[in-house]
Amino acid sequence: MAKDKLDLVTLEVIRNALPAITNEMSHVLQRTSYNMMIYEVRDYCCGLVDSSGYLLSQNMGGVSHFVSDLGVVIKDGMERYGSKGFKPGDVIITNHQRVAGQHLNNVVIYTPCFVQGEIFAFPVIRAHWVDVGGMSTGFSAGNAVDPWMEGFQLDQIKLYEAGRIDEKVWRILKDNIRFPESSLGDLQSQVAACRLAERRLEELFDRYGRDVVTDAIRQIFDQTETRCRAVVEKMADGTYEAESLFAGGALDNNEPIHIKVKVIIDGSDMTIDLTGCSLQRRAPVNARTLAGAVVAYKCITTPFEPVNEGSFRALKVLIQEGNYMMAKYPAPMASWGRTLPTVVDTILKALAPVMPDKVPAGHLGVLGGPAVFIGTDPRNGQGFVTQSIEGGGWGGRPWGDGESASVSVCQGDVRNAPIEKMELRWPVLVMSRALRQDSGGPGKFRGGLGMATHIRNRVEGRWNLADSGRRAYPPWGLWNGKPGQPSEHLLRLPNEPDFKSVDVVRHWVPADSDAVVITAGGGGWGDPLDRDVERVREDVLEEYISAEAARNEYGVELDSKTLVIDRKGSARLRDELRKARQT
Amino acid sequence: MALHVAVDIGGTFTDLIGYDDETGHVFSSKSSSTPTELTKGIVRCLEKSGMVIRNLVNFVHGSTVAINTVIERKGASTALIVSKGMRDVYKIGRGNRPEAYDLAFKRPVPLVPRHLTFEIEERLLASGEVLVALNTDQARATIEKVAQSDATAVAVCLIHSWVNASHEAELGKLLRSICPDKYSSLSHEILREYGEYERISTTVLNAYIGPRVSTYVTDLERVLAADGFAGSLLIMQSNGGVMSPETACVIPVAMLESGPVGGFIAAARVGKRLGYENVIGFDMGGTTAKTNLVKDGIPQLAHGYHIGGYASGHPMMLPVVDTIEIGAGGGSIAWVDEVGSLRIGPQSAGAEPGPICYGRGGTEPTITDANLVLGRLSASEFLGGEMPLDVEKARAGIVEKVASKTAVSDIEAALAITKIAVMNMSLAVRGVSVERGYDPRDFAMIAFGGAGGLHAVEVARELHIPTVIVPNYPGQFSALGMLMADIQHDYVQTYYRPLAATDFAALQRICDGLIEEGRLRLARENVVPEAMYFQRFLDIRYTGQEFSIPVPVPAEYIDGGDSQAIGETFNEVHERRYGYHTPEHTLEIVNVRVSAMGKRKQLELPVPEQSGSGNPLVGRRMVYFETVAEPVECPIFSRERLASGYRITGPAIVQEYACTTVLFPGDMLVVADTGELVITLKV
Repeated sequence: MAKDKLDLVTLEVIRNALPAITNEMSHVLQRTSYNMMIYEVRDYCCGLVDSSGYLLSQNMGGVSHFVSDLGVVIKDGMERYGSKGFKPGDVIITNHQRVAGQHLNNVVIYTPCFVQGEIFAFPVIRAHWVDVGGMSTGFSAGNAVDPWMEGFQLDQIKLYEAGRIDEKVWRILKDNIRFPESSLGDLQSQVAACRLAERRLEELFDRYGRDVVTDAIRQIFDQTETRCRAVVEKMADGTYEAESLFAGGALDNNEPIHIKVKVIIDGSDMTIDLTGCSLQRRAPVNARTLAGAVVAYKCITTPFEPVNEGSFRALKVLIQEGNYMMAKYPAPMASWGRTLPTVVDTILKALAPVMPDKVPAGHLGVLGGPAVFIGTDPRNGQGFVTQSIEGGGWGGRPWGDGESASVSVCQGDVRNAPIEKMELRWPVLVMSRALRQDSGGPGKFRGGLGMATHIRNRVEGRWNLADSGRRAYPPWGLWNGKPGQPSEHLLRLPNEPDFKSVDVVRHWVPADSDAVVITAGGGGWGDPLDRDVERVREDVLEEYISAEAARNEYGVELDSKTLVIDRKGSARLRDELRKARQT
Repeated sequence: MALHVAVDIGGTFTDLIGYDDETGHVFSSKSSSTPTELTKGIVRCLEKSGMVIRNLVNFVHGSTVAINTVIERKGASTALIVSKGMRDVYKIGRGNRPEAYDLAFKRPVPLVPRHLTFEIEERLLASGEVLVALNTDQARATIEKVAQSDATAVAVCLIHSWVNASHEAELGKLLRSICPDKYSSLSHEILREYGEYERISTTVLNAYIGPRVSTYVTDLERVLAADGFAGSLLIMQSNGGVMSPETACVIPVAMLESGPVGGFIAAARVGKRLGYENVIGFDMGGTTAKTNLVKDGIPQLAHGYHIGGYASGHPMMLPVVDTIEIGAGGGSIAWVDEVGSLRIGPQSAGAEPGPICYGRGGTEPTITDANLVLGRLSASEFLGGEMPLDVEKARAGIVEKVASKTAVSDIEAALAITKIAVMNMSLAVRGVSVERGYDPRDFAMIAFGGAGGLHAVEVARELHIPTVIVPNYPGQFSALGMLMADIQHDYVQTYYRPLAATDFAALQRICDGLIEEGRLRLARENVVPEAMYFQRFLDIRYTGQEFSIPVPVPAEYIDGGDSQAIGETFNEVHERRYGYHTPEHTLEIVNVRVSAMGKRKQLELPVPEQSGSGNPLVGRRMVYFETVAEPVECPIFSRERLASGYRITGPAIVQEYACTTVLFPGDMLVVADTGELVITLKV
């Protein structure tokens, strides 16, 4: 192809090349990572951002609430250093909440990429480090009241200058984290992946030239925007509202967080107004993020298309400074992402009347059920953190039952830890990992089942068994569907006969204590009395629901041995249940 | 007379290639697959080829029966037996949703219902110690329940059976005595690698397809025997090796992904014979293009695969030949999306109705239509002239569906279609090479499949691959590869230990144990000791990493406890694959792997008889290459008439029965002594 003119083919080549670069960055990072938050939870994102802060491309898969949030970091870096302030071989590291607005574990690394001596773009990787110092490792800074308690703060620091590492910064980092080999190993993976992306971008520019590539990028943004607009255009104009509650902590007098959303559709424009949500909190659930809105928008517009700056140009997000999702530094942010799945779900709920054939009932609404135990392994004297993210139920859908035991809308390819791996690596015993019967909200299309994972710690240590925020607010039903069963945490010490419900962080227990992480079931979609009786029978056969639930919730009578449906009895029972509702 | 034959049942066609190793005569035939009566189809195919069954000494067979059983969900009603507390592990899986923004995501649908999943009271620790002894009374009672159920197959997979198989083995005995008529699979008989969900899934797949595949294999043996077959029957596996019918009945799961494999075996062999140990196999057919990288004469393997796709498919942990497949075949449809960008596939016009130019009712323009409009395919000599193509219809389709929507001419549109297809295919080739740390410049590309030769030089040029080879019989190359495959069985045993703390005596014992297992299986398959060959691998990673890399390790490193040499080998592989290594970091071993191979007698690759002695230059026509402005009057050659040593400089087109090879201006072709077309690309 000619080097100076953009044509149909070159446009396609560049459209494919940019996501291929960010996906390759992701592959390198994930395969070489030392940290299950990266290799299993995929709590990272890889992007290419141009020097104006526009997102050229971002990897697919992994945690979705990182979508399109790298631009502000680059803009800030450009302001700090200026367009002449970067040299080839520089590596910048930052996690400062002033701009990044997430927990300090999310460490951003980026490197400059030059075209003909001029800075053009930055490969950027944000990844969750297992430790950044502070009061606790892992997810356990859930009661930090400021960033200093949470960990070290790096504000746009050059770790490498022109290819040469700053040994002092490296040593300060190393001495202030608990698992330096893990975090610094991840740092090396991040740098290697950015360097790879620099080479790939240079190849692209060498081949097509700067003008053609920038022209292509502009067209790609435009086309992406057009795709999104085409979807919104089909939705009826109007203002749609919904709200939900999320548990507040003791620091906020247990006052729940209000998530109040308004979605305004006007032609192909969509505005998501979050200004009605709670103000900044004392508990560390604050953030500076548009993720709730952009994830919801992405899900309903172009779920399978690669992400770029055009993906959100037709979306306006209203959110004021001082909102808990746009909090002012130094508000604590250790649990910054906790409410996001519920924010997404609430936006979807608002849109249910305009997209009745697409929107499911409420899902677990939190970032999975985290099973976290911290201890010291007597076999080698080393500290360890057992971590697994357990899925929960998704809401019934307009066309079928919700999926069971799956991670939230903000987590994509996030996998639980295999039992055999947990036991091989850490002194724990997984007694069971099971679906919870009757946990899916009854509906014409039933909510998916939540699960219960029972783990015994074989050495003393500390459990995190805290309410993620939805224990009091179960996943909602839609169109007369019923809510799912809420989440819970149970604990039993070795000398105790029974399990107790707990809400604790870094809670010390002796060896051979038993903890159960219980996740919510999804809400039901549609009236359970309209559910096909045959499906109810299958659910009883598979023990997804009990015979009592079949009778009381679905109005279906079955022979207790043969499970043959009593059709007449069921019809009568359904009539009675309908009548009883009216009174 | 010693006849060898391979029959490859694909989705659309059944291909046969056979030859007589005394006379060198080659037999071949192609017929439509008959999904409902596969064995009859095979016999018909043999009859059509003129081969006499009782004269066959070797019969190698590749079949889609296993994969179709899973995809169509037509397997046995299967029960699953697991450890106490683990009933739902198979249904729960890993809890992930690979399509992050998809509200309508689908998790894998289990092949075993929950009511046929049973728990057994027993528990092992990761060390192999028994925490809870097997409760044989409860086990017996449970198996009685299984016996009374409608399940005809049973899978057993207990927690930590990868380190201690005793409980599983005991259950197996009970199961086989209480319900001897049910097909049973025990996880440790298939693989001993940690990761319960993936191991359960592999074991369930095996049980699920077991009854159907074993019936099929035994039927085939019976039918062949009835016609006097007394040679050896071998079944193609996903790892690039073959196995005996007896083994296929025990681990049918090993043949699930065998479909695309044969061609890559043949690519390795052809490459080797021509002096290229490192080649990239490129197979472009009617619906997809597939690629695999061959290093040191061996197709690269992947350990683990999802049957039916990553997002909602079933994990299968046995090694498979590592291919990347994309929806770009001759029949892939070109379309303009809602914002005006031109896309190719993944929808395909398939064989019916096929591309527009077939004139069988196809209305969507395909890659084949574009090649015809550009003059690269001949309208009158397609399939040796058996099937005339309609160039004007193809042109009209391209104008209507592509050119008019993008404001370009017919030729521009056709060129854009082929170039975008080439770009998509080169991304796939990049995936198996550049992205795994291999420099394509060090490889030759072997192009086969019906459409391989049409685009190979363009794909190769994209990636700076210097040489393209179009082998003999490119249309039946997959079947040909089956004739050349060795017997191969792969074994794995998790051994999780820091490299520095490795007990090499124990490691040696594990290797020896796996080798012994391989030796016994090979012996049962009548492999003589001199033909047996074993290769050891250790899966290694930096301590704390999750993903390990299989590192080939010579026996002397293990026997001599040479952890330094092992570490150095790992660091080299890590550097190549990920662009960096950190020798100061400690290493850990995760798994021990052994490949047990039974070398089969190397057949001399059949050299096609040169038919017709006339002038190989059979005509000229106008062909578009790089640009619209300059169609070239291009010489057309008939491959059948090309003698070895013959040289052609592009632009040129070489036609044969089921394949067309395109040379761009400046590309140079020479016919090898053994008949392959070896093309040196213009830089």
